[in-house]
Amino acid sequence: MPRSKPDADALLDAASKYLEQELLPTLTGYHRFRTRVTINVLATLRRELALADGHAAAERARLAALLGHDGTPEALNDELANRIRAGDVALDDAALRDHVRRSLAEALAINNPKWPRGNT
Amino acid sequence: MTTDPAFAERLQVAVARHVGAPGTLHDLARLTGGATKTTWAFDADIADRRETFILQATDVGTSPVADPLAGLTPHLTAEEDARVMIAAAACGVPAPNVRAVLDARDGIGPGVITERIAGETLGPKILRDPRFAPARAVLTGQCARVLAAIHRVDVRPLGFLRRLDAAAQLAAYRRVVDHYGYRLPALELAFRWIAEQIPRSSRHTLVHGDFRLGNLIVGDDGLRCVLDWEIAQTGDPMQDLGWICCRTWRFGGPLPVGGFGAREQLFATYEAAAGQTVDPRDVRFWEAFGNLKWAVMCLRKGLRWRDGTEPISIEQVAIGRRTEEPLWDFLDLIEGRD
Repeated sequence: MPRSKPDADALLDAASKYLEQELLPTLTGYHRFRTRVTINVLATLRRELALADGHAAAERARLAALLGHDGTPEALNDELANRIRAGDVALDDAALRDHVRRSLAEALAINNPKWPRGNT
Repeated sequence: MTTDPAFAERLQVAVARHVGAPGTLHDLARLTGGATKTTWAFDADIADRRETFILQATDVGTSPVADPLAGLTPHLTAEEDARVMIAAAACGVPAPNVRAVLDARDGIGPGVITERIAGETLGPKILRDPRFAPARAVLTGQCARVLAAIHRVDVRPLGFLRRLDAAAQLAAYRRVVDHYGYRLPALELAFRWIAEQIPRSSRHTLVHGDFRLGNLIVGDDGLRCVLDWEIAQTGDPMQDLGWICCRTWRFGGPLPVGGFGAREQLFATYEAAAGQTVDPRDVRFWEAFGNLKWAVMCLRKGLRWRDGTEPISIEQVAIGRRTEEPLWDFLDLIEGRD
Protein backbone atom coordinates (compact mmCIF):
# COMPACT_ATOMS: atom_id res chain seq x y z
CA MET A 1 0.00 0.00 0.00
CA PRO A 2 1.36 3.44 -0.86
CA ARG A 3 1.77 5.63 2.20
CA SER A 4 1.98 9.00 0.45
CA LYS A 5 -0.17 11.77 1.87
CA PRO A 6 -2.66 13.17 1.12
CA ASP A 7 -4.23 9.79 0.33
CA ALA A 8 -6.20 8.82 -2.78
CA ASP A 9 -9.54 9.71 -1.21
CA ALA A 10 -8.36 13.25 -0.47
CA LEU A 11 -7.06 13.70 -4.03
CA LEU A 12 -10.37 12.51 -5.48
CA ASP A 13 -12.30 14.69 -3.04
CA ALA A 14 -10.31 17.76 -4.12
CA ALA A 15 -10.68 16.92 -7.82
CA SER A 16 -14.44 16.48 -7.59
CA LYS A 17 -14.90 19.63 -5.50
CA TYR A 18 -13.05 21.62 -8.17
CA LEU A 19 -15.18 20.10 -10.95
CA GLU A 20 -18.47 20.50 -9.11
CA GLN A 21 -18.06 23.85 -7.38
CA GLU A 22 -15.80 25.80 -9.75
CA LEU A 23 -15.94 24.29 -13.23
CA LEU A 24 -19.53 23.03 -13.51
CA PRO A 25 -21.22 26.43 -12.97
CA THR A 26 -19.31 27.82 -15.97
CA LEU A 27 -20.46 25.06 -18.35
CA THR A 28 -23.52 24.39 -20.49
CA GLY A 29 -24.73 21.65 -22.82
CA TYR A 30 -22.36 18.87 -23.83
CA HIS A 31 -19.50 19.78 -21.47
CA ARG A 32 -21.82 20.33 -18.52
CA PHE A 33 -23.30 16.87 -19.03
CA ARG A 34 -19.90 15.19 -19.43
CA THR A 35 -18.49 16.96 -16.39
CA ARG A 36 -21.50 15.86 -14.35
CA VAL A 37 -20.82 12.26 -15.43
CA THR A 38 -17.13 12.68 -14.50
CA ILE A 39 -18.06 13.90 -11.01
CA ASN A 40 -20.28 10.82 -10.59
CA VAL A 41 -17.46 8.54 -11.74
CA LEU A 42 -15.08 10.07 -9.17
CA ALA A 43 -17.68 9.49 -6.44
CA THR A 44 -17.93 5.84 -7.55
CA LEU A 45 -14.17 5.54 -7.34
CA ARG A 46 -14.13 6.95 -3.79
CA ARG A 47 -16.78 4.46 -2.67
CA GLU A 48 -14.83 1.65 -4.32
CA LEU A 49 -11.63 2.62 -2.48
CA ALA A 50 -13.53 2.66 0.82
CA LEU A 51 -15.55 -0.55 0.35
CA ALA A 52 -13.76 -2.92 -2.04
CA ASP A 53 -11.47 -4.67 0.49
CA GLY A 54 -14.33 -5.46 2.84
CA HIS A 55 -16.49 -6.68 -0.03
CA ALA A 56 -13.70 -8.93 -1.37
CA ALA A 57 -13.23 -10.58 2.03
CA ALA A 58 -16.97 -11.14 2.50
CA GLU A 59 -17.36 -12.44 -1.05
CA ARG A 60 -14.48 -14.87 -0.63
CA ALA A 61 -15.95 -16.27 2.59
CA ARG A 62 -19.38 -16.73 0.97
CA LEU A 63 -17.90 -18.35 -2.13
CA ALA A 64 -15.69 -20.69 -0.13
CA ALA A 65 -18.71 -21.84 1.89
CA LEU A 66 -20.80 -22.26 -1.27
CA LEU A 67 -18.13 -24.14 -3.25
CA GLY A 68 -16.61 -26.08 -0.36
CA HIS A 69 -13.02 -24.90 -0.87
CA ASP A 70 -10.96 -21.71 -0.64
CA GLY A 71 -9.19 -19.72 -3.34
CA THR A 72 -8.79 -16.16 -4.61
CA PRO A 73 -12.10 -14.25 -4.93
CA GLU A 74 -11.57 -14.09 -8.71
CA ALA A 75 -10.99 -17.84 -9.12
CA LEU A 76 -13.93 -18.70 -6.85
CA ASN A 77 -16.19 -16.24 -8.66
CA ASP A 78 -15.30 -17.70 -12.06
CA GLU A 79 -15.83 -21.21 -10.77
CA LEU A 80 -19.31 -20.38 -9.48
CA ALA A 81 -20.20 -18.60 -12.75
CA ASN A 82 -19.06 -21.64 -14.73
CA ARG A 83 -20.99 -24.02 -12.48
CA ILE A 84 -24.19 -22.03 -12.89
CA ARG A 85 -23.67 -21.94 -16.64
CA ALA A 86 -23.02 -25.68 -16.82
CA GLY A 87 -26.24 -26.38 -14.91
CA ASP A 88 -24.41 -27.84 -11.87
CA VAL A 89 -26.26 -25.57 -9.41
CA ALA A 90 -30.04 -25.32 -9.02
CA LEU A 91 -31.18 -21.79 -9.84
CA ASP A 92 -33.49 -21.68 -6.82
CA ASP A 93 -30.77 -22.85 -4.40
CA ALA A 94 -31.19 -20.58 -1.36
CA ALA A 95 -27.45 -20.20 -0.70
CA LEU A 96 -26.83 -19.30 -4.36
CA ARG A 97 -29.63 -16.72 -4.38
CA ASP A 98 -28.32 -15.25 -1.13
CA HIS A 99 -24.79 -14.95 -2.52
CA VAL A 100 -25.94 -13.40 -5.80
CA ARG A 101 -28.21 -10.94 -3.98
CA ARG A 102 -25.42 -9.89 -1.60
CA SER A 103 -22.85 -9.57 -4.40
CA LEU A 104 -25.19 -7.32 -6.38
CA ALA A 105 -25.90 -5.26 -3.25
CA GLU A 106 -22.15 -4.82 -2.70
CA ALA A 107 -21.54 -3.78 -6.31
CA LEU A 108 -24.45 -1.33 -6.16
CA ALA A 109 -23.19 0.12 -2.86
CA ILE A 110 -20.23 1.26 -4.98
CA ASN A 111 -21.81 1.94 -8.38
CA ASN A 112 -25.24 3.34 -7.48
CA PRO A 113 -26.18 3.14 -3.77
CA LYS A 114 -29.67 4.53 -4.40
CA TRP A 115 -30.71 1.73 -6.77
CA PRO A 116 -31.60 -1.08 -4.28
CA ARG A 117 -33.68 1.33 -2.21
CA GLY A 118 -35.78 2.00 -5.26
CA ASN A 119 -35.50 5.78 -5.25
CA THR A 120 -33.64 6.39 -8.46
CA MET B 1 -22.87 23.72 -32.36
CA THR B 2 -21.18 25.05 -35.51
CA THR B 3 -21.85 23.29 -38.77
CA ASP B 4 -19.66 22.71 -41.77
CA PRO B 5 -20.82 25.18 -44.51
CA ALA B 6 -20.20 22.57 -47.23
CA PHE B 7 -22.53 20.18 -45.36
CA ALA B 8 -25.25 22.83 -45.08
CA GLU B 9 -24.93 23.56 -48.80
CA ARG B 10 -25.21 19.90 -49.78
CA LEU B 11 -28.20 19.46 -47.44
CA GLN B 12 -29.96 22.42 -49.04
CA VAL B 13 -29.47 20.93 -52.51
CA ALA B 14 -30.77 17.59 -51.21
CA VAL B 15 -33.85 19.23 -49.66
CA ALA B 16 -34.61 21.11 -52.90
CA ARG B 17 -34.18 17.92 -54.87
CA HIS B 18 -36.21 15.52 -52.70
CA VAL B 19 -38.69 17.70 -50.80
CA GLY B 20 -39.17 20.87 -52.82
CA ALA B 21 -37.48 24.06 -54.07
CA PRO B 22 -35.94 26.37 -53.06
CA GLY B 23 -34.96 24.39 -49.94
CA THR B 24 -33.28 27.38 -48.31
CA LEU B 25 -32.10 26.26 -44.83
CA HIS B 26 -32.62 28.05 -41.51
CA ASP B 27 -31.42 27.25 -37.99
CA LEU B 28 -29.51 24.05 -38.81
CA ALA B 29 -28.49 22.55 -35.46
CA ARG B 30 -26.97 19.24 -34.44
CA LEU B 31 -29.15 17.70 -31.73
CA THR B 32 -27.34 14.50 -30.84
CA GLY B 33 -24.38 12.59 -32.09
CA GLY B 34 -24.01 8.94 -31.32
CA ALA B 35 -21.72 6.13 -32.35
CA THR B 36 -23.98 5.18 -35.22
CA LYS B 37 -26.12 8.20 -36.04
CA THR B 38 -26.31 11.97 -35.87
CA THR B 39 -29.57 13.90 -35.60
CA TRP B 40 -29.96 17.40 -37.06
CA ALA B 41 -32.87 19.81 -36.79
CA PHE B 42 -33.51 22.49 -39.41
CA ASP B 43 -36.17 24.60 -41.10
CA ALA B 44 -36.37 24.91 -44.86
CA ASP B 45 -38.35 26.99 -47.34
CA ILE B 46 -40.49 24.67 -49.46
CA ALA B 47 -42.34 26.62 -52.17
CA ASP B 48 -43.68 29.60 -50.19
CA ARG B 49 -43.84 27.87 -46.78
CA ARG B 50 -41.26 27.41 -44.06
CA GLU B 51 -41.36 23.83 -42.77
CA THR B 52 -39.58 22.10 -39.87
CA PHE B 53 -37.51 18.95 -40.39
CA ILE B 54 -35.24 16.37 -38.79
CA LEU B 55 -32.34 14.72 -40.60
CA GLN B 56 -31.17 11.45 -39.19
CA ALA B 57 -27.79 10.72 -40.73
CA THR B 58 -26.38 7.23 -40.35
CA ASP B 59 -22.63 7.34 -39.93
CA VAL B 60 -20.92 4.88 -42.16
CA GLY B 61 -18.15 3.17 -40.21
CA THR B 62 -15.09 5.38 -40.02
CA SER B 63 -13.12 3.18 -37.65
CA PRO B 64 -10.15 1.37 -39.24
CA VAL B 65 -10.72 -1.48 -36.79
CA ALA B 66 -13.51 -3.93 -37.61
CA ASP B 67 -16.11 -4.40 -34.85
CA PRO B 68 -15.69 -8.00 -33.64
CA LEU B 69 -19.40 -8.08 -32.72
CA ALA B 70 -20.71 -6.41 -35.90
CA GLY B 71 -24.13 -7.55 -37.06
CA LEU B 72 -24.95 -9.31 -33.80
CA THR B 73 -28.00 -7.15 -33.13
CA PRO B 74 -30.21 -5.70 -35.88
CA HIS B 75 -29.45 -2.31 -37.29
CA LEU B 76 -31.50 -1.09 -40.24
CA THR B 77 -30.05 0.99 -43.06
CA ALA B 78 -31.52 4.47 -43.55
CA GLU B 79 -33.66 3.21 -46.42
CA GLU B 80 -34.97 0.20 -44.46
CA ASP B 81 -35.64 2.46 -41.47
CA ALA B 82 -37.72 4.75 -43.72
CA ARG B 83 -39.65 1.81 -45.17
CA VAL B 84 -40.56 0.57 -41.68
CA MET B 85 -41.71 4.07 -40.60
CA ILE B 86 -43.83 4.42 -43.75
CA ALA B 87 -45.40 0.98 -43.22
CA ALA B 88 -46.08 1.77 -39.54
CA ALA B 89 -47.63 5.17 -40.37
CA ALA B 90 -49.90 3.45 -42.90
CA CYS B 91 -51.19 1.29 -40.01
CA GLY B 92 -52.07 4.34 -37.92
CA VAL B 93 -48.87 4.43 -35.84
CA PRO B 94 -47.68 8.00 -35.12
CA ALA B 95 -44.27 7.36 -36.73
CA PRO B 96 -42.20 10.24 -38.17
CA ASN B 97 -43.53 11.37 -41.53
CA VAL B 98 -40.77 10.49 -44.03
CA ARG B 99 -40.13 13.24 -46.60
CA ALA B 100 -36.88 12.02 -48.18
CA VAL B 101 -34.36 9.21 -48.20
CA LEU B 102 -30.91 10.51 -49.13
CA ASP B 103 -28.97 8.76 -51.86
CA ALA B 104 -25.40 8.73 -53.17
CA ARG B 105 -25.99 11.83 -55.35
CA ASP B 106 -26.61 13.93 -52.22
CA GLY B 107 -23.04 13.40 -50.98
CA ILE B 108 -24.10 13.42 -47.32
CA GLY B 109 -24.10 9.71 -46.66
CA PRO B 110 -27.15 7.64 -45.80
CA GLY B 111 -29.95 9.51 -44.04
CA VAL B 112 -33.66 10.13 -43.74
CA ILE B 113 -35.45 13.50 -43.63
CA THR B 114 -38.68 13.53 -41.61
CA GLU B 115 -41.07 16.23 -40.45
CA ARG B 116 -40.18 17.59 -37.02
CA ILE B 117 -42.79 17.06 -34.29
CA ALA B 118 -42.84 19.45 -31.32
CA GLY B 119 -42.75 17.91 -27.86
CA GLU B 120 -40.62 16.41 -25.12
CA THR B 121 -38.58 13.20 -25.16
CA LEU B 122 -36.77 13.38 -21.79
CA GLY B 123 -38.21 10.71 -19.46
CA PRO B 124 -37.70 12.53 -16.13
CA LYS B 125 -39.36 15.68 -17.52
CA ILE B 126 -42.39 13.83 -18.89
CA LEU B 127 -42.76 12.03 -15.53
CA ARG B 128 -42.34 15.02 -13.22
CA ASP B 129 -43.19 18.29 -14.97
CA PRO B 130 -46.76 19.36 -13.97
CA ARG B 131 -47.23 20.48 -17.59
CA PHE B 132 -47.37 16.81 -18.61
CA ALA B 133 -49.90 15.71 -15.96
CA PRO B 134 -52.76 15.52 -18.53
CA ALA B 135 -50.43 13.61 -20.89
CA ARG B 136 -49.45 11.13 -18.17
CA ALA B 137 -53.14 10.43 -17.53
CA VAL B 138 -53.67 9.20 -21.10
CA LEU B 139 -50.22 7.84 -21.99
CA THR B 140 -50.72 4.22 -20.90
CA GLY B 141 -53.80 3.76 -23.05
CA GLN B 142 -52.14 5.53 -25.98
CA CYS B 143 -49.02 3.36 -25.72
CA ALA B 144 -51.20 0.22 -25.61
CA ARG B 145 -53.14 1.23 -28.74
CA VAL B 146 -49.99 2.28 -30.62
CA LEU B 147 -48.24 -0.98 -29.71
CA ALA B 148 -51.29 -2.91 -30.96
CA ALA B 149 -51.05 -0.96 -34.24
CA ILE B 150 -47.29 -1.63 -34.55
CA HIS B 151 -47.97 -5.32 -34.06
CA ARG B 152 -50.57 -5.23 -36.88
CA VAL B 153 -48.13 -3.97 -39.53
CA ASP B 154 -47.86 -6.36 -42.47
CA VAL B 155 -44.21 -7.47 -42.39
CA ARG B 156 -44.29 -9.36 -45.69
CA PRO B 157 -43.08 -6.38 -47.76
CA LEU B 158 -40.38 -5.77 -45.12
CA GLY B 159 -38.35 -8.87 -45.87
CA PHE B 160 -35.11 -7.27 -44.66
CA LEU B 161 -36.29 -7.40 -41.02
CA ARG B 162 -34.47 -9.97 -38.96
CA ARG B 163 -36.54 -12.62 -37.26
CA LEU B 164 -35.37 -12.63 -33.66
CA ASP B 165 -37.01 -14.94 -31.22
CA ALA B 166 -35.93 -15.10 -27.58
CA ALA B 167 -33.45 -17.94 -28.18
CA ALA B 168 -31.71 -16.14 -31.06
CA GLN B 169 -31.35 -12.96 -29.03
CA LEU B 170 -30.10 -14.89 -26.03
CA ALA B 171 -27.39 -16.49 -28.19
CA ALA B 172 -26.32 -13.03 -29.43
CA TYR B 173 -26.04 -11.67 -25.87
CA ARG B 174 -24.16 -14.81 -24.84
CA ARG B 175 -21.58 -14.02 -27.52
CA VAL B 176 -21.14 -10.47 -26.20
CA VAL B 177 -20.47 -11.69 -22.66
CA ASP B 178 -18.06 -14.38 -23.86
CA HIS B 179 -16.27 -11.94 -26.17
CA TYR B 180 -15.42 -9.77 -23.17
CA GLY B 181 -14.64 -12.81 -21.00
CA TYR B 182 -16.96 -11.54 -18.28
CA ARG B 183 -17.85 -14.02 -15.52
CA LEU B 184 -20.59 -12.93 -13.16
CA PRO B 185 -22.81 -15.40 -11.25
CA ALA B 186 -25.80 -13.01 -11.37
CA LEU B 187 -25.52 -12.80 -15.15
CA GLU B 188 -25.18 -16.58 -15.53
CA LEU B 189 -28.22 -17.09 -13.33
CA ALA B 190 -30.18 -14.71 -15.56
CA PHE B 191 -29.03 -16.43 -18.78
CA ARG B 192 -30.10 -19.84 -17.49
CA TRP B 193 -33.40 -18.65 -16.04
CA ILE B 194 -34.30 -16.98 -19.33
CA ALA B 195 -33.32 -20.02 -21.39
CA GLU B 196 -35.54 -22.22 -19.19
CA GLN B 197 -38.55 -19.87 -19.21
CA ILE B 198 -38.93 -18.99 -22.91
CA PRO B 199 -42.69 -19.06 -23.70
CA ARG B 200 -43.57 -22.14 -25.74
CA SER B 201 -45.60 -20.31 -28.32
CA SER B 202 -46.03 -16.74 -29.37
CA ARG B 203 -47.41 -14.59 -32.15
CA HIS B 204 -44.95 -13.37 -34.72
CA THR B 205 -45.18 -9.67 -35.63
CA LEU B 206 -43.25 -6.49 -36.20
CA VAL B 207 -41.43 -5.55 -32.97
CA HIS B 208 -40.24 -1.97 -32.44
CA GLY B 209 -37.50 -3.16 -30.11
CA ASP B 210 -36.94 0.07 -28.15
CA PHE B 211 -40.42 1.38 -27.28
CA ARG B 212 -39.95 3.47 -24.10
CA LEU B 213 -39.69 7.03 -22.80
CA GLY B 214 -36.71 8.64 -24.48
CA ASN B 215 -37.91 7.35 -27.84
CA LEU B 216 -41.42 8.82 -27.61
CA ILE B 217 -42.32 12.44 -28.33
CA VAL B 218 -44.89 13.52 -25.76
CA GLY B 219 -46.85 16.77 -25.85
CA ASP B 220 -49.21 18.32 -23.30
CA ASP B 221 -51.94 16.21 -24.89
CA GLY B 222 -50.05 12.90 -24.80
CA LEU B 223 -48.16 10.67 -27.23
CA ARG B 224 -47.35 12.39 -30.51
CA CYS B 225 -44.67 10.32 -32.19
CA VAL B 226 -42.72 7.05 -31.88
CA LEU B 227 -39.04 7.46 -32.78
CA ASP B 228 -35.98 5.25 -33.21
CA TRP B 229 -37.06 2.44 -35.48
CA GLU B 230 -33.57 1.33 -36.46
CA ILE B 231 -33.53 -1.84 -34.38
CA ALA B 232 -37.00 -2.95 -35.53
CA GLN B 233 -37.26 -6.71 -36.01
CA THR B 234 -39.87 -9.43 -36.13
CA GLY B 235 -40.62 -11.66 -33.17
CA ASP B 236 -42.86 -11.98 -30.11
CA PRO B 237 -44.87 -8.73 -29.74
CA MET B 238 -44.89 -9.19 -25.94
CA GLN B 239 -41.24 -8.14 -26.07
CA ASP B 240 -42.34 -4.51 -26.59
CA LEU B 241 -44.76 -4.67 -23.63
CA GLY B 242 -42.10 -6.12 -21.34
CA TRP B 243 -39.39 -3.64 -22.35
CA ILE B 244 -41.40 -0.54 -21.41
CA CYS B 245 -41.99 -2.07 -17.95
CA CYS B 246 -38.26 -2.49 -17.17
CA ARG B 247 -37.37 -0.38 -14.15
CA THR B 248 -34.53 1.33 -16.02
CA TRP B 249 -37.11 2.88 -18.37
CA ARG B 250 -39.30 4.11 -15.50
CA PHE B 251 -36.76 6.88 -14.87
CA GLY B 252 -37.58 6.83 -11.16
CA GLY B 253 -41.33 7.06 -11.76
CA PRO B 254 -43.55 5.15 -9.31
CA LEU B 255 -45.59 2.99 -11.70
CA PRO B 256 -44.45 -0.10 -13.63
CA VAL B 257 -45.35 0.94 -17.19
CA GLY B 258 -42.70 3.50 -18.12
CA GLY B 259 -42.97 5.04 -14.64
CA PHE B 260 -46.46 6.36 -15.46
CA GLY B 261 -48.92 3.49 -15.83
CA ALA B 262 -50.36 0.25 -14.44
CA ARG B 263 -49.69 -3.09 -16.13
CA GLU B 264 -53.38 -4.03 -15.89
CA GLN B 265 -54.39 -0.95 -17.90
CA LEU B 266 -51.69 -1.53 -20.51
CA PHE B 267 -52.77 -5.13 -20.98
CA ALA B 268 -56.54 -4.47 -21.01
CA THR B 269 -56.28 -1.62 -23.53
CA TYR B 270 -53.86 -3.62 -25.69
CA GLU B 271 -56.19 -6.63 -25.67
CA ALA B 272 -59.15 -4.50 -26.73
CA ALA B 273 -57.15 -2.77 -29.48
CA ALA B 274 -55.31 -5.84 -30.78
CA GLY B 275 -58.10 -8.40 -30.36
CA GLN B 276 -55.48 -10.67 -28.77
CA THR B 277 -55.12 -11.91 -25.22
CA VAL B 278 -52.12 -10.88 -23.17
CA ASP B 279 -50.73 -13.46 -20.78
CA PRO B 280 -49.12 -11.39 -17.98
CA ARG B 281 -46.60 -14.22 -17.46
CA ASP B 282 -45.30 -13.74 -21.00
CA VAL B 283 -44.88 -10.00 -20.47
CA ARG B 284 -43.12 -10.76 -17.20
CA PHE B 285 -40.76 -13.07 -19.06
CA TRP B 286 -39.94 -10.29 -21.53
CA GLU B 287 -39.46 -7.78 -18.73
CA ALA B 288 -36.95 -10.17 -17.14
CA PHE B 289 -35.42 -10.66 -20.59
CA GLY B 290 -35.23 -6.86 -20.98
CA ASN B 291 -33.29 -6.63 -17.73
CA LEU B 292 -30.78 -9.20 -18.97
CA LYS B 293 -30.57 -7.41 -22.31
CA TRP B 294 -29.90 -4.03 -20.66
CA ALA B 295 -27.28 -5.59 -18.38
CA VAL B 296 -25.43 -6.94 -21.44
CA MET B 297 -25.84 -3.62 -23.25
CA CYS B 298 -24.31 -1.76 -20.27
CA LEU B 299 -21.44 -4.25 -20.21
CA ARG B 300 -20.84 -3.78 -23.92
CA LYS B 301 -20.95 0.01 -23.74
CA GLY B 302 -18.50 -0.05 -20.86
CA LEU B 303 -16.00 -2.39 -22.52
CA ARG B 304 -16.35 -1.56 -26.20
CA TRP B 305 -13.28 0.72 -26.19
CA ARG B 306 -11.19 -2.44 -25.63
CA ASP B 307 -12.06 -3.56 -29.18
CA GLY B 308 -10.30 -0.46 -30.55
CA THR B 309 -13.36 0.49 -32.61
CA GLU B 310 -13.99 3.67 -30.63
CA PRO B 311 -12.04 5.76 -28.12
CA ILE B 312 -12.73 5.31 -24.42
CA SER B 313 -15.39 7.77 -23.23
CA ILE B 314 -16.49 8.86 -19.76
CA GLU B 315 -20.15 8.45 -20.65
CA GLN B 316 -19.72 4.89 -21.91
CA VAL B 317 -17.57 3.64 -19.01
CA ALA B 318 -20.07 5.16 -16.57
CA ILE B 319 -22.87 3.18 -18.28
CA GLY B 320 -20.68 0.07 -17.92
CA ARG B 321 -20.95 0.48 -14.15
CA ARG B 322 -24.76 0.25 -14.43
CA THR B 323 -24.62 -3.48 -15.29
CA GLU B 324 -25.75 -4.58 -11.82
CA GLU B 325 -28.86 -2.35 -11.76
CA PRO B 326 -30.97 -4.47 -14.13
CA LEU B 327 -29.57 -7.69 -12.62
CA TRP B 328 -30.86 -6.53 -9.23
CA ASP B 329 -34.23 -5.81 -10.85
CA PHE B 330 -34.11 -9.23 -12.54
CA LEU B 331 -33.74 -10.94 -9.17
CA ASP B 332 -36.57 -8.83 -7.68
CA LEU B 333 -38.76 -9.77 -10.63
CA ILE B 334 -38.21 -13.54 -10.49
CA GLU B 335 -38.61 -13.51 -6.69
CA GLY B 336 -41.85 -11.50 -6.92
CA ARG B 337 -40.41 -8.56 -4.99
CA ASP B 338 -41.00 -5.94 -7.68
